[in-house]
Amino acid sequence: MTSVFWTWVAAFFTLSILSFLYKDNPFYKFAEHIYVGSSAAFYVLQLWVFDVYPKLVGGFQYKVGIEKWILIIPAFLSVLMLTRFIKPISWLSRWAIAFTVGMAAGLGVTGLLQGFLVPQVKATFLPFYVPGTSFWNSFYLSVNNILIVLGTVATIFYFYFSREHKGALGTISRAGITFIMIAFGASFGYTVMARVSLLIGRMYFLIHDWLHLA
Amino acid sequence: MKREIPLAITFISGFLLIVALFIPHKPFGTLQETFNDWYIIVSGFTMILGIDSLLLHNWNKVKRRKSDWPYALALIMSFFLTFLWGLYSIVYEPTHNPFAPTASFLKYFYKSIFVPLQATMFALLAFFIASAAYRAFRAREINSTLLLFSAALVMLGRVPEGEQAAPYVFGIISLLFAVYFFIEASLLTAGFLKYLYIALGVLLLAAIYPVGKLLLAYLPKIADWIMNIPQLAAKRGILIGVALGGIAMSLRIIVGIERTYLK
Repeated sequence: MTSVFWTWVAAFFTLSILSFLYKDNPFYKFAEHIYVGSSAAFYVLQLWVFDVYPKLVGGFQYKVGIEKWILIIPAFLSVLMLTRFIKPISWLSRWAIAFTVGMAAGLGVTGLLQGFLVPQVKATFLPFYVPGTSFWNSFYLSVNNILIVLGTVATIFYFYFSREHKGALGTISRAGITFIMIAFGASFGYTVMARVSLLIGRMYFLIHDWLHLA
Repeated sequence: MKREIPLAITFISGFLLIVALFIPHKPFGTLQETFNDWYIIVSGFTMILGIDSLLLHNWNKVKRRKSDWPYALALIMSFFLTFLWGLYSIVYEPTHNPFAPTASFLKYFYKSIFVPLQATMFALLAFFIASAAYRAFRAREINSTLLLFSAALVMLGRVPEGEQAAPYVFGIISLLFAVYFFIEASLLTAGFLKYLYIALGVLLLAAIYPVGKLLLAYLPKIADWIMNIPQLAAKRGILIGVALGGIAMSLRIIVGIERTYLK
């Protein structure tokens, strides 16, 4: 009985959201607001259960010595963040914001260097001639490497706006936009496939789990 | 003081993290991990500010009986009901975790309310993406044609039996275009354009069989090649640009040139 009730609840929300395809209507608006409200609570709980509780409360419980007491700093900064609710001392929340911004900037430099820039540049240093099992295999692999290097360089040049895209720069940037368009088309195809697969999932739920038609 | 201390905090926290990258010894070696934990804790509390703003905005709508206020009330109620349900799972259920597989929160709320709402909301985008594609993918210039072809090839190449359908899709499209060219040619008087249209129509008709054969045999490989070579090259170029921009912006924040977050 319980599962039947919850299946009907799920079907109601699914149909309510899909009703937007007809036009904006009260069912859609209701489901949309429920989605926003419940998602906000969901993420608060997720943040508490997986991040704040184990790292702060769990840290105070299980860590020892300096590692335990140093947690007073993030706890203090977290409390400062809440001073935004108290007008006369709301400026203190800037300290906590400054800390998160500084951390994000520091992690941005190190993370982008280690995770993006260096590995991507390293992976672009490819040989223009690759020995293969046959002439055509070698030709295919070499052309692919040349295309990757040229495509990467051309794409970077496309985003170089300090000079007008004329002459050689114009030619390179035009090659760049060609690669970008192919990449966007491929990403678009992937996104459409993901969305359609979600749609198939919802249709399967309605037909199979809710209506028991198949 | 109200500006200098936050600037100093930003500089010290950001600078220490960069230093830690170059000195992998104590106390700097573990600094990145420690600061990362602190960042997660403090930024977790910023969520409270966001929730306050969301609830206050909707509560004002209810209080002033603005248009659509019943929906705002539904939002507030759904927030508190979800939150209380999660709290109940934390306090009273044996696992003390609302995200445990046996918790009622995960079993009923997540599977019957959250997933249907989220999945359907994203599934709805399939229709809007299709209508946006209709506008964006008009094969009027080379760039939009490239966008159209790579999207079509990736979609057909990555679905089961896509290569079986691709020759028919190509055949129908070629046929339609050939008919269009022949009609256009019939409306023109003799001249270069008339013969060009006829030649294009004939070319399209002649291409149906060989291109269809090619798609049938190699479509998944073509889709893989698009993903692994031109797509990778452009993505790599964009990622390098994003990394350079992100690093420059981060350094501006650390040294205090960028201060908009203090407003």
